[in-house]
Amino acid sequence: MNCIILKNQKLAEGFFYLSIKPKALIGGIKAGQFVMVRVGTSSVPLLRRPMGIADFKVDGSEFGLLIQITGIGTRLLSNLVPGDNLDVLGPFGNGFPPDLKGEKIWAVAGGTGVAPFMGIAANNIFGNKFKLLLGARSADFLLQTSFFSDRGIPVDVSTEDSTKGFGGLVTELVDKNIKSNGKPDVMFTCGPISMMKALASVADEHNIPLYASLENRMACGFGVCLGCVLKKQNEDRFFTVCRKGPVFLSSEVEILNT
Amino acid sequence: MNTPNISVNLAGINLRNPIIAASGTFGYGLAFQNFLDLGNIGGFVTKGISLKPRVGNPDPRICETPSGMLNSIGLHNVGLEKFITSKMPEIRKVDTSVIVNFFGETVEEYVELANRLDQVEGIDGLEMNISCPNVNKGGSSFGTDLSVTCNVVNLCRKATKKPLIVKLSPNVGDIVEFAKACEDNGADAISAINTLVGMAIDIKSRKPLLAKRTGGLSGPAIKPIAVRMVNECYRSVKIPIIGIGGIATVQDIIEFTLAGATAIQIGTMNFVDPAICEKLAAELAPLLNELGVDNLHDLIGQVS
Ligand SMILES: Cc1cc2nc3c(=O)[nH]c(=O)nc-3n(C[C@H](O)[C@H](O)[C@H](O)COP(=O)(O)OP(=O)(O)OC[C@H]3O[C@@H](n4cnc5c(N)ncnc54)[C@H](O)[C@@H]3O)c2cc1C
Ligand SMILES: Cc1cc2nc3c(=O)[nH]c(=O)nc-3n(C[C@H](O)[C@H](O)[C@H](O)COP(=O)(O)O)c2cc1C
Ligand code: FES
Repeated sequence: MNCIILKNQKLAEGFFYLSIKPKALIGGIKAGQFVMVRVGTSSVPLLRRPMGIADFKVDGSEFGLLIQITGIGTRLLSNLVPGDNLDVLGPFGNGFPPDLKGEKIWAVAGGTGVAPFMGIAANNIFGNKFKLLLGARSADFLLQTSFFSDRGIPVDVSTEDSTKGFGGLVTELVDKNIKSNGKPDVMFTCGPISMMKALASVADEHNIPLYASLENRMACGFGVCLGCVLKKQNEDRFFTVCRKGPVFLSSEVEILNT
Repeated sequence: MNTPNISVNLAGINLRNPIIAASGTFGYGLAFQNFLDLGNIGGFVTKGISLKPRVGNPDPRICETPSGMLNSIGLHNVGLEKFITSKMPEIRKVDTSVIVNFFGETVEEYVELANRLDQVEGIDGLEMNISCPNVNKGGSSFGTDLSVTCNVVNLCRKATKKPLIVKLSPNVGDIVEFAKACEDNGADAISAINTLVGMAIDIKSRKPLLAKRTGGLSGPAIKPIAVRMVNECYRSVKIPIIGIGGIATVQDIIEFTLAGATAIQIGTMNFVDPAICEKLAAELAPLLNELGVDNLHDLIGQVS
């Protein structure tokens, strides 16, 4: 699918946000889905890069990607300028469960993990019982907080160096919130795997269903290479992250329970 | 100028063009219908099928390398029963040639698979994978041992009347000996090549990037090796050769044809561009026009 870059905005050192316009509408995007992005046209880098969809318009006329530079592909993507073409496949994957309206939902994110929740906020998918808890190492890396507050969504933040909000890890912030406000009905999470593992044990302890957006190396993105598998909890079988996920109930996958 | 002829007769299988999607990179074909019209490609080869379903190797199974990738999928597949009952009814509806790739852990399993698949309607040819480097007990021990190769090809030949293609391992001293062994034991065609064993290491953690340490290298990185091997085989056997390895452009297809390939397969590039088989099929006749060639067949093996 051919797309045009509308905007490339630097958010912090090593983080940028691409606003993208598909040349034809891509209908039916669900929050938590991802796309496979081709980086350039040469054979290095060869494989497409999986990227979660951040903000999007329901009619598929526009979407955004929040990207952290971690290697050659993401560095090349950071050089895109408005008017450039971008070759994208998708949307792929299941997304966060959309049928939870009326329930008290907390989204717990770290770093670029805030991205999928932007789509939820922009399209007001879960109404006013939705809240974001966002963690980063330092205030500069708390990305896109105003995107949420501008839309009336409560945001609670933590920083490891205490430069803003609660001083400590976001999982400690979750604990503190449970103590003062009572537990949510459901939690969503996206971010570094160590954070999501720690959150899975908090969720387990308080008996809160947790939906986590997971990553793995991907070659195809749509279920045919069988390269992106993760082991099922208590079973000698695998899930493909691209097709069965990327969003999993934390109790289903071994990686969040070890 | 007339439209050049790009149709191919591959050991009795009539292909509308020489472009076949390679095993393990095209699933069971059906998922690609979102991206292309299967009626515009020569055919596809299914993921390798075994007698019993297989869960495959531990994660991580893939990593990217310069102009290529390593995989140790471990022949993860649905198994023969489910393939026949749940995949074949859908596959039969598709207007393209269907080749089923299969492998066993013992000679008896290969023979049973050839026997069973022989009876299945809607399969145009069988491709024996004797070359997969991923599974300790399976693939490599067959395809890298000459006398075992002779034996297993010979017995499978007797088990099926369908066109029998043997897919060769490049991880041997002299691939020509294996190509000859296949021809002598009744194979109708050979596919060359499967992936080359490779390894990549994370320099910070000092761990291999794949859980199984090594994996099969594929993609444009392996193309010159594949072209060389196709040409060596072409000069030694008479049965048709399907050229495989790193094909990404229509020029690559001509290069393999000149080396001696009657048809070709595209693997890794299906991930990068899931419509690539259809796109290259559309570019082939115009390129032949440009080269002043009326019939693709006239180019087979024509490297000087
Ligand atoms: C479903 C999904 C959603 C994602 N969403 C985002 C997002 O919104 N923002 C963002 O910045 N990143 C996201 N990622 C991670 C992103 O795909 C990697 O950071 C990116 O592929 C790194 O490419 P590179 O060339 O810069 O790095 P390199 O390290 O040079 O990449 C080498 C190879 O490893 C793969 N790879 C490296 N890291 C990862 C990873 N974490 N996950 C999967 N493959 C990886 C690359 O795709 C490439 O094939 C997501 C990953 C997945 C699976
Ligand atoms: C992810 C992956 C899975 C594969 N699975 C199989 C398989 O099941 N059986 C088989 O014979 N070859 C398998 N192959 C090998 C390909 O069919 C092909 O021979 C090889 O990738 C070289 O072609 P390429 O460079 O165009 O990818 C696989 C390759 C890849 C990349
Ligand atoms: S990325 Fe290919 S199966 Fe998931």
